[in-house]
Order: sequence, then C-alpha cells, then structure tokens
Amino acid sequence: MHADHQAQIAFHLTGKRPDEGLDAVEPLRLRPALFTRYADLPRLRYDFPLVLVRGGDDTTFVQSLAAIVDKALNDAAPQGTENERLRKHVLRLEREIRSMAAAGATGSLSEMWNEAAHRLGSAADELLEDSVSRAGAALKIDGEVADCAPDMPARLLAHGWRRIRERKTRNFHDIARRLILKLANILRADYVHSQAGQSAGSLKAAIGKAHGDVFDFDIMSGLLAKTARNDSLPASRRRRIEWMLSVLESQRFFPAVDGHAQGRDTVQPYAFEFDNCAAALDAFRERQPKMIELAKALAIGELETEGHYLESKHNLFFEEFGENALGADDLALFPDYLVCVRAGRMHAEGHAELMSLLATGLPVKIMLQCDDILQESLGSSARLDCGMPSTRLASMATGLNDVYVLQSGASHLVQLAPWILRGLAYAGPALFSVYSGAVPAVNGIAPYLVSAAAVESRAFPVFVYDPSAGPDWASRFALDANPQPERDCPTYALDFEGEEHQRLSEQLAFTFADFAACDPRHARHLARVPRAKWNGNMLPAAECIARDAQGMSEDVPFLLMADGDHRLHRVIVDDKLMLEARRCAKMWRSIQELGGVHNSHAEKLLARERKAWEEKRGAEAAAPAAPLPAAAAPAPAPVESAPEPQSDEAHIETPRCTSCDECTQINNAMFAYDANKQAYIANIEAGTYRQLVEAAESCQVSIIHPGKPRNPNEPGIDELLKRAEPFL
Amino acid sequence: MIHATECLLRLYEENPELEQYQASIPRWCTGCGDNAILAAVQRLCRDEKLRPEKTVFVSGIGCSSRFPHYMKTYGFHGIHGRALPIAEGVKMARPDLHVFVATGDGDCCSIGAAHWIHGIRYNMNMTVLLHDNQIYGLTKMQASPTSPKGLRSNTTPRGAYLEPLNPLSVTLGVQNASFVAQVVDWIPEVLYDVIKAAFHHRGLSFVRIIQRCPEWLPNLFEPWLNDPQRILLLNHERGIRVSANLGKVYKNQQAHDPLDIDGARKIASVADPIPVGILYRNPDVPCYEDLRHAGQLRTPELVRSGLEAELDRFTVWPQEEGKRARPAA
Repeated sequence: MHADHQAQIAFHLTGKRPDEGLDAVEPLRLRPALFTRYADLPRLRYDFPLVLVRGGDDTTFVQSLAAIVDKALNDAAPQGTENERLRKHVLRLEREIRSMAAAGATGSLSEMWNEAAHRLGSAADELLEDSVSRAGAALKIDGEVADCAPDMPARLLAHGWRRIRERKTRNFHDIARRLILKLANILRADYVHSQAGQSAGSLKAAIGKAHGDVFDFDIMSGLLAKTARNDSLPASRRRRIEWMLSVLESQRFFPAVDGHAQGRDTVQPYAFEFDNCAAALDAFRERQPKMIELAKALAIGELETEGHYLESKHNLFFEEFGENALGADDLALFPDYLVCVRAGRMHAEGHAELMSLLATGLPVKIMLQCDDILQESLGSSARLDCGMPSTRLASMATGLNDVYVLQSGASHLVQLAPWILRGLAYAGPALFSVYSGAVPAVNGIAPYLVSAAAVESRAFPVFVYDPSAGPDWASRFALDANPQPERDCPTYALDFEGEEHQRLSEQLAFTFADFAACDPRHARHLARVPRAKWNGNMLPAAECIARDAQGMSEDVPFLLMADGDHRLHRVIVDDKLMLEARRCAKMWRSIQELGGVHNSHAEKLLARERKAWEEKRGAEAAAPAAPLPAAAAPAPAPVESAPEPQSDEAHIETPRCTSCDECTQINNAMFAYDANKQAYIANIEAGTYRQLVEAAESCQVSIIHPGKPRNPNEPGIDELLKRAEPFL
Repeated sequence: MIHATECLLRLYEENPELEQYQASIPRWCTGCGDNAILAAVQRLCRDEKLRPEKTVFVSGIGCSSRFPHYMKTYGFHGIHGRALPIAEGVKMARPDLHVFVATGDGDCCSIGAAHWIHGIRYNMNMTVLLHDNQIYGLTKMQASPTSPKGLRSNTTPRGAYLEPLNPLSVTLGVQNASFVAQVVDWIPEVLYDVIKAAFHHRGLSFVRIIQRCPEWLPNLFEPWLNDPQRILLLNHERGIRVSANLGKVYKNQQAHDPLDIDGARKIASVADPIPVGILYRNPDVPCYEDLRHAGQLRTPELVRSGLEAELDRFTVWPQEEGKRARPAA
C-alpha cells in the first residue's frame, strides 16, 4: 500500500492527521463545492427576504420579495423593450433591499423601498425616480420585511397565528353580536308588553320629544292595558338570558373589533403568546372555567334564540356542562395558545414538558426553533450525535397521532406557507419544528444557506404530518417539499474548469458530511489532500454512505470543497463523521418509508403479487384452453305487484284519495283518514251497504269499490247492487 | 355552533304529526280540490319537519286564499292580487323562514298579474301554489282569466269570448323563471312529489295546480278524470319519477328533461292531454334576496349608520379647510 494512501486511511480511521501529506482545512476556509454558486447571495433572486403581508387573503399571507416585485413589474412594465429601463431599475432596487435586509435593516416594504431608492440616488436621477414611483404604485401589498434571520421563523409563525386569531375573532363576534341582539330583543319585547313598558311615561319616551304633546299617553296606556297579555317572561328564562348576556359581554378571549366596545365595562383581553410550555398550560387551566362558561353561553344562546330551549330537558344537561362537553372543534372556536421556544435553551425537562403539552390535545401551537443541530451532544464519545434530541421531537410528536407536525429549515418556510397556515388553523395541537441555520460557530455563511444545506443533506428533512388530511399515513404524511425526495441525497451538476481550462461537469451529491463540513467545529474530522496525493482509492463520500460497508475497507471517502478563490479541493472525511452521515441516511430512509418512498411493506407486497401473477401466468400458458362457459341466462326481474283485493270486499285505493271529504261526510265511522290524510275503510261494520254505494258514487276520483253486500237482506239491495256495478 | 347544541337538537328532534299542522276545519266545499292541496302541503310540512314558527303561508283573496287559516303556522291573508309582494317582503326581512304562497287563478292571473310577472323575475326562494279551478268560486261563479272559451258564467252569460290565459306559458316567458310545474289535484302522489320538489328548489317555484270546483264547474274535468290517457305524465330523473303503480294507470308518459326550456315551452302550450310534472327547473338562477344580502343582522350600529347616512343627505357641511368659510349667519 502506498504511503500516502496509508496516511489517508490512518486519518480516516483514527481522525488523527499526520504532520505531512494532509492539510488542515481550517486555514483554507473551505466550503462545500456546491456552495460556490451562492457565494454572493444578495445578487440572487431567491425566497428571501420575505414580506409578512398585511391584509389580503390566505394565499398571500407571506410572499417573497422577488415574487412581489415580479408581480409589480408584470403589472407596471409588461415585457417589451420600452420597459427595459424600468425593469432594470426595479431589479437594482430589489437587490438593494435584499442587501439592506441581509445587513439587518427592518421595516415595512414601502419604507425599505423608499430607503433603497434613496440609497440608489433617485433624488438626483429622474429616470430612476420615475421607475421607482411607477413600480411602487403597482405594489399592491405591504407588510414587514423579514430576512432569513434567527428571529424570522417566530415572526412568520406569529404573523400567521395572528391572522387565524383575527379570523376567529371575527367569527366569534359575528355569533356573539347576533346572540346578544336577539337575547336583548327577547328582554326588550317582554318589557314592551309589560305593565311598565305600557305606562304613559314609557310610551311618551318611545315617541320622542318632537311629538310628545300631540298624544294623550294616559289614554293610550289605558287602551293598551286592555289588550295586555299576562304571559310575561318566566323568571328562570329571564335569569338565563341575563346571565348569557353578561357572559358574552364580559368575555376576555376575543378583543373588541371595529371600534366596538367590549361591553359595558371594557375588559382587557387575555394574552395568548407565551415563551414556555408551562406558562401556556397554566394559563389554559386558569382560564378553562371561563372558557367553559362562554361555550355554555353560546350553546344555550343558540337554543334560546331559536326557541328550542326546553328547561325540562336541557337544564340537567347544562348543569353538568364541563370540560368533557367541549370537543376539539369547540376548542377551535377559541384562540390558540402560541408558544415559541428555542431548543438551545431547553433541557430534558423542557422536552418532556413540550411533549406532555402536545399529548394533552389542547389547542396549542408550538414553535420549536433549533439554531444549532451540528453541536455534538455532551457525554457521547462513541459518536457525534449531532443536535439530539431537539431535532427528534418533531418525529416523536408524529407518534402522538393527533398532533399536526411540520418540520422544515427556515429556508423552505416560504414554500411551506400554506401548510403553516393549515397547521395554525388545525383544531388541535400543532408543532412547528424549524431549523434557523443561525449557528454562531459558522462564520461567513448566511443562515439561509446553512438551513437550506440542512434540508438538502437530509440532516433536517422537511415533512408535514396533518392528522386532518385523512385516516392513513398516505394522506397525512408528506415529504414533497424535500429536494428529490426519492433519492438518498439530492444530486446536482457542478460545472467547473479543468486543469487545461476545459469545461468539466460532475454530478455531486450533497450529503450530511458536506453539511457538517460547513461548520468549523467539525474541521478536525476533515483533511485536505493535496492534488499530488490523490489516488484511486479515494471515493466520493455519497458512494461510501450508500455502500454502507461493514468492516475494513481500503477506500477513503472524500468531499469536493472550494476555497475563497473557488478552487476545488478534495477533502477526506474521518470515520466518525461518516458514521454520523450513515446514521443520518438511515433516518432519512425510515422517514422515506413513512412518506411512501421505497416503503418496505409495499415493496414486499408488490414482490409477492408479482410472483403470484407470474406463477398464474405460467400455469395458464401450460394448461389447454378451456371452452368458455355459456353465458348465464339473466334472472327474470322480480315483478312487483301488490295483491289486488278481491272485488267481493269493499276497499278504497287509498294512495289515489284526494282528501275531498265526500266519503267522510257520509259516514265518518266507516271512512277515516290515515296518517297522510287519505281515506280508507276504518270499520266496514259501522255503516250500511247503501252508504258504501253512495260514497262510491260521490267519490270524485272513483276509488271507492263497494264490493259485495255483507247483509243480503238490506232493504233495496237489488237496486244498490245495480248502482254498485260500475265501481266493482 | 357548539357541538353540544347540535347533539341536543338531534337528541330532542321533534317528529310532528300531520294533525299538528292543521288549524281550523276547512270551510271549502266537500269535494273541493283545495282539500287535496292542503293534505299534500300538510304532509310535506310533517315530512320535512318544518317548524311552525319558521313557516309562513301568504295568500291573496279567493277560495284558495283561505289556505293560511287552515295551517297552524304563521299566515298572512293578504289583499286581492297582492300575495306575492307580501311574501317577498316577508322573505326579504326574514330569509330564514319557509315561505309559501297560496293564490288562485283570479288572484294571480287577473288582479295580481303584474305582481306575478315581477315575482317570477325576482325569483325569491318561495313556493307558489296557483290553485287554478278556472272560475271565481268565492263570489259564486264569474269567469276568470283561465276559464275555457265558451264557459257560461255570471259575467259571461253568452259564454266566455276569449281563449284562456296559459299560466305556464306566461311564467316560462318571464326572465329568471327557475321552476315551473303543473299538477292536477286528483293525482295525489304526483301532487305531493311536485310540491316537495318545489319546496326543495332554491328560487321561486311556481306550481300550477289544476283543481276541480264541484260547486260551480262539477263536470269541467270529467273527461280527464275518466280517461287517464288524457293526462301526460312528464317522467325524468331530474324531474319526477313516475312510480310503477301509477304508471299502470297513467300510461301516457313522456321523458322530459326539466333543464330543457324549449321543450318546456312546447309542453306548456299543450292543453289536452294535460301535462303533469316538472316542466322547467334551473337551480342556477340567482335569488333576489341573495343579491340584496337580505337578512343582515340589524345591530344598533347598522340602524344608526343607516339613519346617519340618511340625515347626512340633508346636512350642510362646513367648508373645507383652506377654502373661504361661509360667513356666520
């Protein structure tokens, strides 16, 4: 074995870098080769900064700056050479805003738009000023600008949460206003009909000052008193209505809207934003009696205003009305408890608290932000164990079955906006686990790139688990937002210049090792191999991970990395980091299975069915062709026919009866109406054959058939039989 | 709605009897076709579990217009020819109510003809039952617009001079017509089915019910009663499906798709055999109450803002700042 190769294997196995032959990567400030195209991020039109849109509908509650600018340009400057200048100016302006946001500037889009225009010198450039103002006028939306900074995920989630809360607030006030008005009207109507309401003073007050002297209210009151009703509102109903009104007007769950006062006494609404799970749970428990009371008032109010409330039946139920009476849909009427926590500040107790809060099924929306998933866990020497266990909380939460779970890097949040809103609107607990990418140890790489790298490398895959989407994993679990979800790692083409200035291209996979290589804390697991010492035993890390080799191997995994001058280097990786990369790959594969990609159950079933199908096919090919069985004769359709009464018995074709009263007028004991108010012979003994014949004659639709007489000795029977003949 | 409310409503769901919708005993003549219509409507109320306090019957003047007196629901016995405007007002103020209109051939097609045309055009969600006995019965036999040519009555002793007005053709000619059907009172099964379909149609459903008047025109429909072949049953999956038993009696049937307005107009122009069934049904015609957002909650704020807006029309505003102010009086 060549000495250079020996040194590389030694490094790979031990992580100890020899003094010669292998270089430390730290001084070179190497980055994964695929990062080179993102070296100057502000020049790229990517998802950030984003705008937390004020107003608008759910589809536009968050939008990227680039999308907003594209829309404005499309409206103000459609494609064509005459608008070229405007487009260029506005794209320059967009770049300026992006740079400002990356530098930490904050504010609304309109403010930053003006500031960026000012910086570009629009005051001195009329054409620029014209472009900026025309495109600015085409901006239909505004809102706070947020770059992919550490505070962005929480801001974005809080923005969505407020939108949902506003919707719930409007919904509540729609219901409450209607109920309050109707309940108050019941009391008012009772007052108007009462003695006090019909007194001369009340009547005068109702008319107003202008015509107060025209009427004699005493006489009017006297007149009304004569026709006054005595059925005033029962005291229990009055008490119930007054109680409901007081509960609805003094509630603190929803703020007042549209300038309406909260009630007679303005009360401070509850706060629903928390920074730890325990405080949210305490607040929920403390407010629960009030919430039950409000839900009870709403429930009784609906029954009461519709006149459905029955004291004999409903009182007992509402006396026992407690937390068990409120289902998830009822709780969803109330604002959710928003908790934003940072994983870095949490310990084991915090994790347990979070999981138990989710397990309660209460309407909490928890944002768990991980800032550092590359930090090695303490007390673990055998393996790196990056970011445990905060990064696993999302996977664990899916096991609770009814928790909405969304995991993503901050970089992918814009494209996940509809799912974020869906999770916030979900009637039950939700967990949003977000990796911000803002790792203090990683200098010089934007958080956006770091979080995107975490997603690309499968270190922090994107997934959504939505219990409301259906009963099974196929409908609940989605991996679609991941890049190339069917692969172990996403693969991209890297174009570069060869030694002889020729254009070369190579397919590069982005693995966990590439992601870890961004972080200087893992530089000790890497060593640069000078060009002269490259050899055939060096294998791309992705291939080594895929091979999942057990035991000793002579291959040394390497990564392609680039320095500040965009020169490519091969960097070999030690076994400890590779072990972590393999572990990451295995976890990704199990997530893939949940998402239906390479699902082992499905693949086993498919193999079994395929085998059975092939065996059957083979057997059929071997067997002689059997004659086709004769087509079975169709079974005769059952004929529905009601047994026709014999003409000897008197009968009525009831379904054809027009309820015209002719027969019942003749004898209402013999002829009667059924539940549909159609005639039938109720008691043939209750009348004479003569009445039967007369009824048959008078029936407008001739459906009464008198049959044969029961008493052959009835007077005039011969004549009656003759008259009955047409109706037999 | 809170889940508990729904549960309680389901738990204590009422199952009314037909008699619970019966108010006073009808004063109609024995054998009158109105009885059949009343029975069918009461059956509908029972089957649909309509709450009496959520149901209104509005009528004009005539025999048929006594209808609200016999229903234990809300009722409005209106003035001659004005049943529809009253019903429209009710619907506009309370779109949550089930509104039925009972009107006669004189009430609707003569004095109320203008309201009838515009009622069809407004297409408000209600069920209009035109009790067409082709005579003024309450006032003892005067010719109505639908009386057949040659009918001798107190007002036409030499026989009616004009061809009768065809309520179906007129209705189908009005813009926004959305449901037009015809039935005869002596086939209760179809009468019920059509009224039920009319009730479920969203929009104004116009049902002409040809009814017998045993007092003044006892023999007018005798030929049709005696010969089922002179009844043309319209049969379609989107209209009324004729049952097997009924099909044995009424064999003269025609497949007619109620979405086909041209076919409907053609059928409407036939007087003999009498077409029975749904001629036209178009659920996509907008309802006036929806267009006008009827039923808006009248909160004190809304009432106040309406009054303010009205008063503002007469308010003299002080001149705007920067302009010369009007000298004080």
